[in-house]
Amino acid sequence: MSAYLEFRKITKRFPGVLALDDVSFTVERGTCHALIGENGAGKSTLGKILAGVYTADSGQIQLEGRVIAPVSPLAARELGVAMVHQELAFCPNLSVAENLCLGDLPRRAGFVDRAALRARARTMLATVGADLDPDTLIGTLSTGREQLVQIAAAVGTGAQIIVMDEPTSSLSAGETAELFRLIRTLKARGLTLIYVSHRMEELFALCDHITVLRDGRHIATEPIPATQPTRVVSQMIGRELRAHAPAHLARELGPVRLEVKNLSSAGAFNEINLNVRAGEIVGVAGIVGAGRSELVQAIFGLDPAVSGHILVDDQTLPLGSIEHALTAGLGLVPEDRKRQGLILGLNCRENTALAALPLLTRLGFVRRKAESALASKYAQRLRVKTPSLETLTAGLSGGNQQKIALAKWLARDCDVLLIDEPTRGVDVGAKAEIYQLLDELACEGKALLVVSSELPELIGLCRRIIVLRAGHIAGEVARAAFSEATLMQLMAGVPDAA
Amino acid sequence: MFARLRVFFRFQESGLLLVILALGVLLTVFAGKVRTPVFERAADGMRTRVFTTDANGERIPLTVEKNKFLNAQNLAQLAKDTSFIAVMAVGMAVVIIAGGIDLTVGAIYALASVVGALVLHRYGAEGLATTSSPVQGILLGAGACLGVACLCGLFTGGLIVTLGVHPFIITLGGMAIFRGIAFVITKGQSVGAFPVAFRDFVRFEVGDGLSFVPLMSMVVVLIVGWIFLSRLAAGRRVYAVGGNELAARFSGIRVERVKLGVYLISGLCAGIAALLSLGYYGAATSGDGQGYELNVIAAAVVGGASLTGGRGSALGVVLGALIIQMISSGIVILGIDQNYSQIIIGSVVIAAVVLDHLNTWLARRRLTATAH
Ligand SMILES: Nc1ncnc2c1ncn2[C@@H]1O[C@H](COP(=O)(O)OP(=O)(O)OP(=O)(O)O)[C@@H](O)[C@H]1O
Ligand SMILES: [Mg+2]
Repeated sequence: MSAYLEFRKITKRFPGVLALDDVSFTVERGTCHALIGENGAGKSTLGKILAGVYTADSGQIQLEGRVIAPVSPLAARELGVAMVHQELAFCPNLSVAENLCLGDLPRRAGFVDRAALRARARTMLATVGADLDPDTLIGTLSTGREQLVQIAAAVGTGAQIIVMDEPTSSLSAGETAELFRLIRTLKARGLTLIYVSHRMEELFALCDHITVLRDGRHIATEPIPATQPTRVVSQMIGRELRAHAPAHLARELGPVRLEVKNLSSAGAFNEINLNVRAGEIVGVAGIVGAGRSELVQAIFGLDPAVSGHILVDDQTLPLGSIEHALTAGLGLVPEDRKRQGLILGLNCRENTALAALPLLTRLGFVRRKAESALASKYAQRLRVKTPSLETLTAGLSGGNQQKIALAKWLARDCDVLLIDEPTRGVDVGAKAEIYQLLDELACEGKALLVVSSELPELIGLCRRIIVLRAGHIAGEVARAAFSEATLMQLMAGVPDAA
Repeated sequence: MFARLRVFFRFQESGLLLVILALGVLLTVFAGKVRTPVFERAADGMRTRVFTTDANGERIPLTVEKNKFLNAQNLAQLAKDTSFIAVMAVGMAVVIIAGGIDLTVGAIYALASVVGALVLHRYGAEGLATTSSPVQGILLGAGACLGVACLCGLFTGGLIVTLGVHPFIITLGGMAIFRGIAFVITKGQSVGAFPVAFRDFVRFEVGDGLSFVPLMSMVVVLIVGWIFLSRLAAGRRVYAVGGNELAARFSGIRVERVKLGVYLISGLCAGIAALLSLGYYGAATSGDGQGYELNVIAAAVVGGASLTGGRGSALGVVLGALIIQMISSGIVILGIDQNYSQIIIGSVVIAAVVLDHLNTWLARRRLTATAH
C-alpha cells in the first residue's frame, strides 16, 4: 500500500543556502503531522513547496500514488492543498465575505451579488464552526479570528491537506484551545494536517507523527507515542540542551531604574503603577487585548495620548517622546517584527545597527568596521542562520528575523530594556540562548521588563510577574508563588478558589 | 574572465551602463553625417572660423564631415544638458528613497532662477549696483538662488510633515504656487544682463566646447550624494524611513526630521541646477524648467530608485539622467519631431517602472524556479 502523501528527495536551494536537502518522508491520511526544526531548518519552505508557493529544485511529491507538482497556490488549491500562513495574507480593508470569495466573487449583471456573497461566506465559515459576521472588516479581527477565516477559506474550498505554519505563535491561550478543537474535528473528518510549530507541548498534545528537520536535512519521522520531547530536541539541534538556571536571581537588586506612576491611556490601560530595579527581570503577563503591548509602547514614548508619570533613574521622562526615552537609556523590542521591528529591504547588518546608529557614527559617517563587528557578534551569539550579514532580512526565516529584531536593541546597550515577545517563532536552542543573554544583561545591572504570552518563559526568567487584565493590573506574583495556574487565574479574572 | 564579468553584472548599475552603451551605438549608427565648420582658437582665446580658398581663389569656410551623434561638440552638449537634470535627479532620488515624491523641482528651478536673476541683474551692466564689485554680486545672487530653493524645499517638506498629507498632493500644489510666485515677481518678463564674470565662469570651456563647471558640479553632487546615501548615518535613515516608516519610528529615528531633510535636499539640488542655468544661459524667466519634474523623476526611476521607497543609488540616477538626456537629444539628432519628445520620455518612464517590476519578479522567479 502506498502512502497518502509522500515527499521524495525534495531539494530546494536559495542563493547561498540549501534550504532543503534530499528530504523524504511520508504522511498518513487523516493525521496531524508535526514538522519541527531549528530556525531556518526549512520547515516553511517545505510547506510552501507543497502549497505551490515555491517549486522544488528536484524531487517529487506524490499524493495517493500520483506525482503532483503544484506551480501556484491556486494549482495547489485545486489539488486539495491549502496553507495557513503565519504572516496573514488577507486584505484588511475588505470584509470577511469579500476576502473569502475574492478569487471568485459571485456576480449578477456585472455587479457583486452581495446576498450570494454573504450566503457563500456563511457556508464556508460554518464548515469550521465560526460564528462571524461576514460583513466585518478583516482589519478589525483579532489574529486568532483572522486565522479562523483563513482556515475557513481552506476547508470551504474543499482542501484535503492543510499546512499550518506556526499557527499559534500569536494566539491567546483561549484561541489556541479553540484552534486545537477545530484541528481535532477536521482530523475526524478525514483531513490531513501538516503542523509546524516550535512549541513542543503542542506537538505532543495534538499530533500523531513528528518529522524533524535539521539544516534542510530530514533527521527522523516517528510516531509521537514512540518519542519524547528531549529526544526530539536533541534530534533538532544535534546536541543536548542544558537547562540554564538564571543567575540574576541570586544577586542583590540595585536601585529602582524604571518607575511608572498612574499611567493611563484611554481605551488601552488605566492607572498602571510598576517599577523595575537594576538587575531585575519583571514579567508582564495577560491575555491578548489586556493592554500589554500598548503599555510598553507608551513607556517608550510611542503613545502621544498617555497621562501619568514615568521616571527613569528618578528623573521624570517627558511623555510621548521617543527621543527622551532613548536618551534616558530606554529601548523597546516591539512585538511585530515585520511591521515594527525590521526594515525588510535592508540587510542584517544594517538592521542590527539601526537603533545603535548614533553610537556607531563618527562625524556623521557610519563606522563600517564597528558596525560589522557588532552585527556579527550578535548574529553569532543568537545563532542567526543567514548566508551572510549582507543578506536582506526579507530572505530570512521567521525565527531568524526575530533574532535580528532582538539583536537590534541588544546592540544599543540600553539600561532599561522593554521586550515584547522576545522569542516569538524562535526555536528551542536559540530560545535558551536568548534567555541566557537576558540573564546576563540582568546580571550586568540592566532593568528588563518582558512581555510574553508564553507563561513558561516568564516563569523561568522573571523575579516577579505583573498580570494585566483589561488594562488594569490584576495582580503581581512573586517568584516563590509562580505557577501557571495562579497566573492564568489572574489573567482570566477567575476568582481564586482557595 | 567570467568571474570578472559576473562581478560586473552583480554591480547594480551595470544594466544601466549597458543601456547607455546600446543607446550610444544606436545613435551613432542611425545619426548620419553632418558637415560642420572648423573653428580655431586664437591666441586671445576667441574662437574663429577657419577659411580656405577654393580653386577659384574664393575664401570658403573649411568644414569637416562628422557623425551627428558621435562628435566632440555634441557629446559636450550632452554632458552639459545631462548635468542640469542629473543634479536635480540626485535630490529627487533622496526623496524617492525616503518613500516620497517631489513634483516641485521644475517650479523651484524657475523660482530660484528668477530670484537669483533679479539679484544678479542689479550687479550687471544695466543694474543699479553696477559699480560695486562683481564678486559681491555673484555671491549674493548665488546665495539668493540657493537660499530660495532651500526655503521652497523646507516649505513643502514642512507642510508634508505637519499636515501628514501625501507628498504628491502637497508638491502638486507647491509646483503651481512656486511657479506662480516666479511669474508674479517678474511679471512674466525675462531677466538678464548679469555680471560678465559670472557668465564667463560658468561658461568656461575646456577642449572642444565642453562646459567644465556644470559637469564638475554634477560630479561633485554625485559624489556628495553617493557619500550621503551610502556612508552617512543620515543616509541610512533615509533608506530606513522609505523601507518601513513604522519600524524606523520604533528604532528611534526622527521620521519627521528625515522627511523634512529630504525635501530640503531636493530643493537645494534644484537650486544648484538653477544657478548653473543662470550662468550658462544668462537669463531667466518664470517659464523656465517647465516639465523638468517629468525628466527628473524619469531619470531617478530609470536609474533604479524605487517609487515604493527604500531602494536607489546616486550613481544609478545620474546614469538614469544620462539615458533620459540621450533619448531627448537622440530625438533631435534623428530628426524626429520635437513634439514626440514628451511622448517618448513618458513611455520610457513607464517602461522603466515595468522593467523594475519585471526585475523584482524575475528575482523572485529565480528564487523559486526549478534549476533544470
Ligand atoms: N525567499 C527566500 N529567499 C532567500 N532565502 C530564503 C527564502 N526563504 C527561505 N530562505 C532560506 O531558506 C532557509 C530555510 O528557511 P525556512 O523559512 O524554510 O525556515 P524555517 O524552518 O521555516 O524557520 P523558522 O523556524 O525560523 O520559521 C533559511 O536559511 C532561509 O534563510
Ligand atoms: Mg518558518
